[in-house]
Amino acid sequence: MRHAPARCATLFSLLISFPAWATDPLASLAEGDWSSAHAKHLLERAGFGGTPEEVDQLAAMGLAGAVAHLVNYERIENNLPTFEHSGIWDDSMHPDVDLHMRFDDVMKKAAKTGEVYSRTIRTDGPRPLQDITDALYYKYLSSNREWQRVGVWWAERMLNTPRPLEEKMTLFWHGHFATEELKNDDYRIMLKQNETMRSLATTNLRKLLIALSQDPAMLLYLDNRLNVRGHPNENYAREILELFSLGVGNYTEQDIKEAARAFTGWRNEGPRFIDDKSLHDDGEKTIFGQTGPWSGTDVVDLILTQPACAQFIATKLYRFFVSDEPADEVITALAQTLRDHDYELKPLLTALFSSSHFYASENRASKIKSPVHFLVSTYRKLDLARIPGTPYFPTATRLLGQNLGNPPNVKGWDGGRAWLNPSTILTRNNLINHMLFPETAEGLYPRFALSARLRNAPAEAKARDLASQSGSNLMEFSADDMGDNAMGGMNMMGTTAPSAKAHNAKADYDLKLGLYRGMIKSFERVRPIPPTPAPLDLLAVVRKVGATTPESVVSYFEARFLSTPLHPEDKTAIVLFLAEAVAEEIPLEDNEAGDIERALRLSLHLILSTPEYQLG
Amino acid sequence: MMGIDRRKFLKQAGAMALGLMATPGQAASRNEDRILIVLEMSGGNDGLNTVIPFRQDPYYRARPTLGIAPNAVIPLSDEFGLHPNLLGWERLFKQGQLAIVHGCGYPNPNRSHFEAMKFWHTGVPNAPETYGWIGKLADAADPSGKRGLVMNLAAEQSQAVASANHPPVVFSDPAAYRQEQASEQALVFDQVMRRTTRAANPSLDFVRRVTQTAAESSDFVRKACASYQTRSDYGYGPLSVSLKNIAALINADAPARFYYTNFAGFDTHVSQGPMQAGLFNQIGDSVLALMTDVRQMGRGQDVVMVIFSEFGRRVNENKSLGTDHGVAGPMFVFGEPVQGGFYGKHPSLTDLDQGDLIHTTDFRQVYSTLIEEWMGVRHPEDILYERYESLGFV
Repeated sequence: MRHAPARCATLFSLLISFPAWATDPLASLAEGDWSSAHAKHLLERAGFGGTPEEVDQLAAMGLAGAVAHLVNYERIENNLPTFEHSGIWDDSMHPDVDLHMRFDDVMKKAAKTGEVYSRTIRTDGPRPLQDITDALYYKYLSSNREWQRVGVWWAERMLNTPRPLEEKMTLFWHGHFATEELKNDDYRIMLKQNETMRSLATTNLRKLLIALSQDPAMLLYLDNRLNVRGHPNENYAREILELFSLGVGNYTEQDIKEAARAFTGWRNEGPRFIDDKSLHDDGEKTIFGQTGPWSGTDVVDLILTQPACAQFIATKLYRFFVSDEPADEVITALAQTLRDHDYELKPLLTALFSSSHFYASENRASKIKSPVHFLVSTYRKLDLARIPGTPYFPTATRLLGQNLGNPPNVKGWDGGRAWLNPSTILTRNNLINHMLFPETAEGLYPRFALSARLRNAPAEAKARDLASQSGSNLMEFSADDMGDNAMGGMNMMGTTAPSAKAHNAKADYDLKLGLYRGMIKSFERVRPIPPTPAPLDLLAVVRKVGATTPESVVSYFEARFLSTPLHPEDKTAIVLFLAEAVAEEIPLEDNEAGDIERALRLSLHLILSTPEYQLG
Repeated sequence: MMGIDRRKFLKQAGAMALGLMATPGQAASRNEDRILIVLEMSGGNDGLNTVIPFRQDPYYRARPTLGIAPNAVIPLSDEFGLHPNLLGWERLFKQGQLAIVHGCGYPNPNRSHFEAMKFWHTGVPNAPETYGWIGKLADAADPSGKRGLVMNLAAEQSQAVASANHPPVVFSDPAAYRQEQASEQALVFDQVMRRTTRAANPSLDFVRRVTQTAAESSDFVRKACASYQTRSDYGYGPLSVSLKNIAALINADAPARFYYTNFAGFDTHVSQGPMQAGLFNQIGDSVLALMTDVRQMGRGQDVVMVIFSEFGRRVNENKSLGTDHGVAGPMFVFGEPVQGGFYGKHPSLTDLDQGDLIHTTDFRQVYSTLIEEWMGVRHPEDILYERYESLGFV
């Protein structure tokens, strides 16, 4: 039988609520039906795919063994490195600085009080507020850049982890409890959030809801620092009900107002959570008809009494792991499993990954790979140990619409068909090209190094600083100068007309000078991500498996990389293409392998550019 | 408001009187030929130095350095005039082809670029929303999911064109909107990417459709833009290039009915004067060039263009000869089918909210008017989730 004790209650309730002929929507696949095709599907969905060897290992465990291996991963040792900080944080950085909003207000206040962010403003010399302006830009730019390094570090975990479900669920929670580094401007608290999500990834929904409600990045992102007794700010209360736990229609506006009062006083100081009793409204609140002096933790517990909660989470997990088309009876059974186990997640995941529904033909190769999945699974299937520097991962994922740490809004990524449009299709194919033929990407990706123009500019900047009459074009930064045009907003600030002279002599501060100095310093401090290409040797791969004919090579690549077979005509065309390039027999012993390697790469580029490859 | 209603009434009465006897030169275009171009001024354009209330002292008091002197303003009425570099727009206004909508905004405005821009993109402020207003409009205008209906001329897809059924064509440099390939791969790529075979797997079907759109449109876009010759002078700059490419695509009878593009650089915290002047030189000339161009190709009656920015700027200038993020700002609607003139009420320069103008027109009124009265889509509330009163400018 299936993982019996854990699901007894569900099974029992199903037996009484379904007529005898009805089947359990989560009925397990029979062990006898388990095959390496099932293992491949499981690894693709519960993780990021893998090499044929990894698939074989999983297949050999049997269904129950494979599911347990993926779900109960704590027993697998994990020696992945922790993030290596560049060391950008210094005394000039204040966590509460918000560059996007009301910059002039900050400066006005500073001029009045003589201090800004607890620091005294100097009174001598020109532009008394220049130091803080420089510091603001430095914080913004260096944190954004350092966060890109965090993204690569995380992707490398996805690539190398022996616990793929841990990283997959971390990615799920990141999309669920969405926050944006570009709003928070503090990579440290974003990294802390990532670690929180990983440590709780498959534990308990209650723990997750409480941890994220007290998470500094979340508190900052959804403005809970402004939510104080007497002046409730409803932003977090609304989102936790609408997007994190219940969904629209399962609460009232009054519930939001009251829940907001319950969350008053929860705020952060940098990476530290503070439960500020002096700002907490400890009066009576009525939420879902229950009245009491509720706190934020109480709100979570009240949420968990609502049947909609398990249904909402089960729906999102189903969409993430199974299909964009929800199957109601399966989702209802998953929700029931969640409730039966006090919101522990593992019983749900185990039941789902064991169910024959999960392996049904309509649910295989039916999901469009997310951009991160697309890249990471490609690298895993190529058995790479590092995320290549070409294509440059932060740019690649941003162009494809899944910039880690910067989902489009608090709702997270929509996923599914929204990942693809003609431009992202071409971009995916071209990124594969850049991986296989790094020389074609020459000049396409920004580097963490100053452009030559800016490298030679300090003298000019100095001239501008000392004698503002000189004017300067150096402040007209381009996206390339900025290292990456994720800083679009900042780039806008950098555009200037040539006649912008003279103005700066009288100003208290000069934003462009601040931008320039902040950028220079961020380049100095943030460690570069080297443009290292992927170390590929496709000839060695086909040699190892003894594929000697174009037909056998294309079939091997097809089986290794794709979840659904190529169209037969396309496959024939690719076989003929390879045959034309290397002749009928691939000379495995040929040491002059340059041409053959090139032909293999051109063929793989074709295979990985087919519509079939977008599906997992 | 009376004036607007009257104008709208006259327009409708006129259209009824003309009935089906419209002469070719003035023929009201058929719904399915109509094109909407959206231009985003990214960064927050300073509306007060765009449409200048040159009779109002509070304007000059708030802008001691940045205020544009009455004798420099291009007067459009007794009260309002354009920035001196918007000569192209003056011409269009005088031809009755420019509607200026005062004080556009929305309740509970957000002053962050990212947040505010999202709200304008989706048409749904202060709520998470998946699809863009143009994407939703395309879905409503064409339930069949015609390929290439939406084109987004930009380096990255705008949320405004995110759509359930109309994958937008997205490109900035037409020459680079292509499948990179070695020459010997060309034939195989052509076969693989243009495959139309229906698949039993609906996801595969969808991917094939998008891939096919990519393959078809990349050739079309490259060739249409590369071969286009025009006598219209678009000037020099990124916007000039984008608008000229839009003209090239219209001229090549591209399937697109929605074009979306953006022009960045309006975040004028510092030295606003010369920065905005430079931007206006380009936007003034290139919009005139585009309008002239489509008229010359006989499509003047089919094209309407709307221009917006995610917010206006603070009334008081700051200490770096610039302005900081504000709230309400004007919108501009161009085209032969447009009833030129001023719409809505200019926000008060003295009754402010935290130093910002208080919006007088909800920007969704402009969207709603374009959706229903230009693109002929019946229920704008399906796209904007609420009904908004028409402004009657088209």
